[in-house]
Amino acid sequence: MLKRSLLALTFALCTLGSASADKVITGAFDQGPGGAPGQFNPLTNTAGFTWLNKYYSTLVLYDPAFKKISGDLTSSWTVADGGKKYTFVLRNGVKWHDGEAFTSADVKFSLDLANNPDSGSAFASKFGNITKIQTPSARTVVITLSKPNAALLDALTNFMILPQHALSKIAPKDLRNGAWWRTNPIGTGPFKWNKLVPDQYVELVANPDYFRGKPKIDRLVNRYFKEQAAAVVALKSGDLDFSYLSLDDTKTFSGNAVKIISGPSQVANYLGFNNTSPLLKDVRVRQAILQAIDRDTIVKQLYGGGAEVANCPVTNSKYVPKGINAYAYNQEQARQLLKAAGWDNSRTVEVLTYYSDQLSKDVLVTIQQMLGQVGIKIAPRFVDVPTYNQTTGGNDFTMVYAGIGNGPDPDTLYPSLHSDFIPPNGTNRMKVNISALNKLFEQGQETTSTSARTKAYQEMCSLTNKQLPWDVLWSAKRFGGVSNKLSNFIWTPAPAGGRYDDKAYLWDTK
Amino acid sequence: MGLYTLRRLLVSIPLLLVISAVVFTLLQFTPGDPLDAYIPPDQVLSAQQREILKIDLGLDQSKPVQYFKWLGRAVQGDLGYRIKNGQPVLAELGRRLPPTLLLMGLGMTVGVVLGIFFGIIAAVKRYTLLDNTLTFLAFLGISTPAFLAGLLGMYVFALKLGWFPAGGYQTPGQGGVLDILRHLILPAIILSVTYIAILMRYTRSSVLEVLFQDYVRTASAKGVRSYRVIAKHVLRNALIPVVTVIGANIANLIGGAVFLESIFSWPGTGQLYLDAIDSRDYPMIMGTTLILAIIILLANLITDLLYGLIDPRIRFS
Repeated sequence: MLKRSLLALTFALCTLGSASADKVITGAFDQGPGGAPGQFNPLTNTAGFTWLNKYYSTLVLYDPAFKKISGDLTSSWTVADGGKKYTFVLRNGVKWHDGEAFTSADVKFSLDLANNPDSGSAFASKFGNITKIQTPSARTVVITLSKPNAALLDALTNFMILPQHALSKIAPKDLRNGAWWRTNPIGTGPFKWNKLVPDQYVELVANPDYFRGKPKIDRLVNRYFKEQAAAVVALKSGDLDFSYLSLDDTKTFSGNAVKIISGPSQVANYLGFNNTSPLLKDVRVRQAILQAIDRDTIVKQLYGGGAEVANCPVTNSKYVPKGINAYAYNQEQARQLLKAAGWDNSRTVEVLTYYSDQLSKDVLVTIQQMLGQVGIKIAPRFVDVPTYNQTTGGNDFTMVYAGIGNGPDPDTLYPSLHSDFIPPNGTNRMKVNISALNKLFEQGQETTSTSARTKAYQEMCSLTNKQLPWDVLWSAKRFGGVSNKLSNFIWTPAPAGGRYDDKAYLWDTK
Repeated sequence: MGLYTLRRLLVSIPLLLVISAVVFTLLQFTPGDPLDAYIPPDQVLSAQQREILKIDLGLDQSKPVQYFKWLGRAVQGDLGYRIKNGQPVLAELGRRLPPTLLLMGLGMTVGVVLGIFFGIIAAVKRYTLLDNTLTFLAFLGISTPAFLAGLLGMYVFALKLGWFPAGGYQTPGQGGVLDILRHLILPAIILSVTYIAILMRYTRSSVLEVLFQDYVRTASAKGVRSYRVIAKHVLRNALIPVVTVIGANIANLIGGAVFLESIFSWPGTGQLYLDAIDSRDYPMIMGTTLILAIIILLANLITDLLYGLIDPRIRFS
């Protein structure tokens, strides 16, 4: 009798113990270039979408290979009227974290908010063509555009839908830095906000009513590290289950505890030129610069083979036509071009960059050497982001070394290469002003036929390859490290993080 | 002494004004403004949105107007709001204060106690192997950059030996006293190394100076036990310059240690200050500078007063 009750007690205590041990995954999800640590406003954020997507949802999402867009909050959609009318049918039975039903009113509210200049949203430029948003039923949204925008779906993959019932009472101006985003935000994602310990970590708990199913783990924690080296040590010591890793970091891992994930960064590194500067106006100089650099050796020696030489700003190979100029490494030809252009060997050109990692430093020093061999003297100058922004916003610079985030849709490059977006109106900091290029971007956005779009962007690639407003160099891989204690974990590098379906509700710990 | 204190306090006011004006002016010459920091290089913001942001942040007014507006609010105790997240500057500082005091408090206390202790030993056993070893270690401690010491310490003790967690203030989800203590020990010990090294050197030379004074020789000639000679006669006089060094570093209790905080992800004021400068967060920078300046001026005053109390030879004029 005593033995039996003792056994029962023991069993009870055991289950008590296992029930209280909840499953946690701790990661440094905002580490690295795609992260935005401590920034929680999805309207004004331009990065950090990996984390935001854990508790907010978007209408549509890419797959992890960035080949296809599927619905997340939508179950289906149709495009009509030559690409000017989008009808979205929303998924049924989706609830906000506070139990309220998700409806079309929330979608209209979110889009209107983005277009309201007071909210300071970066999405306003992408949704600027929207003239009308109708909600004929709780599950239908009809968006009418003034001109077709074939890249609308791509833009929507990053756009988090927000709750009207919670946010409509707050003035858009106060929302920008509002406390709502970091005290009690409500979303429709697989996890719910639990708490933020400022500058340390954010904790989410599982959303049992998530429309795809209750997550397998109980808690998801995002830890912040000011120093990448500290994140690497934490990953190695087991305090972290996942972190972004630089190429050099990956080389320091051995053994089976951590699996290294790699993927295309979708960022094209380039040498940019102030297109209004007289110094580099002659295209022969820009050609010479490209031909003086032995890109294959840099890719092999500095990137360890983890980069692909690129010859135009688009990284998606679908839009790169065959037969564009590869500007093969040929220093003799470079010298001849420079001579023909009358390049003055004595002048030094400053190259500005906001990159501060060791790899970029090594790359720039190597480029400096190679250019020096043909008679071009450059002086790399490493600055921080605000300095870079201010300097390239004006005219007081000649050359930069930067990266442009691509995506599966080349329309992402529009604001960086179209003359409408020359600062202060946008991010065409190199002040590229080629009317044929402008037209190709406009065409690409307004054409709905897939084949016509592909052709337009292929022409854009050829044009930039010929006229060289930028000297595009390569596109590198980026890396992450995940503990082998996790299963079903999906992560791939993406310029701002997020926008692909990583099925976080299936992540599990062994 | 009262008059001296009053005079020092009165002089502090114009001094603080000058400090704030100089820092503000220097900030204006720094390339980039909060707007440039707010927006990543590849974010598109329309001209209209830029204007709205500018007006919102008060950046559209002339520089002197911005400064005097800030000053007017500061004297009333309102240090403004952080540009980055709209939180009040004082609240942000206040939030970072406990972790900073913990880290700096423990680190400096250990550093001072051990530093003085080793300094006395090195002086008393001067020129022996012990003294030379301690001196060598002190030089090592002073010359090692904080960054390197931090990373090395983390690598050895957190990764290889696994004795301590690899950074952070607490384990997410926990945060009890023991948990924080576990996270505190490693950075505090590494921090203390610099202080041990510095104070050891100062104490050693100061004790050596006093050790050969007549009154010390008299005391041991009288038969006072050597331990009591050191504790009573030598120490009191030798500690005078040491108090100065401690006083000069007191402000670090509030200011934090930027490198160690960054490596150990310790949410202290040093990291806050650095972050504010990175994002050109003017209100945060001005507010933090003001508070730090006040603390340093007060600390210097208290040190000077203490000096007068310890050493009766000093008269305040």
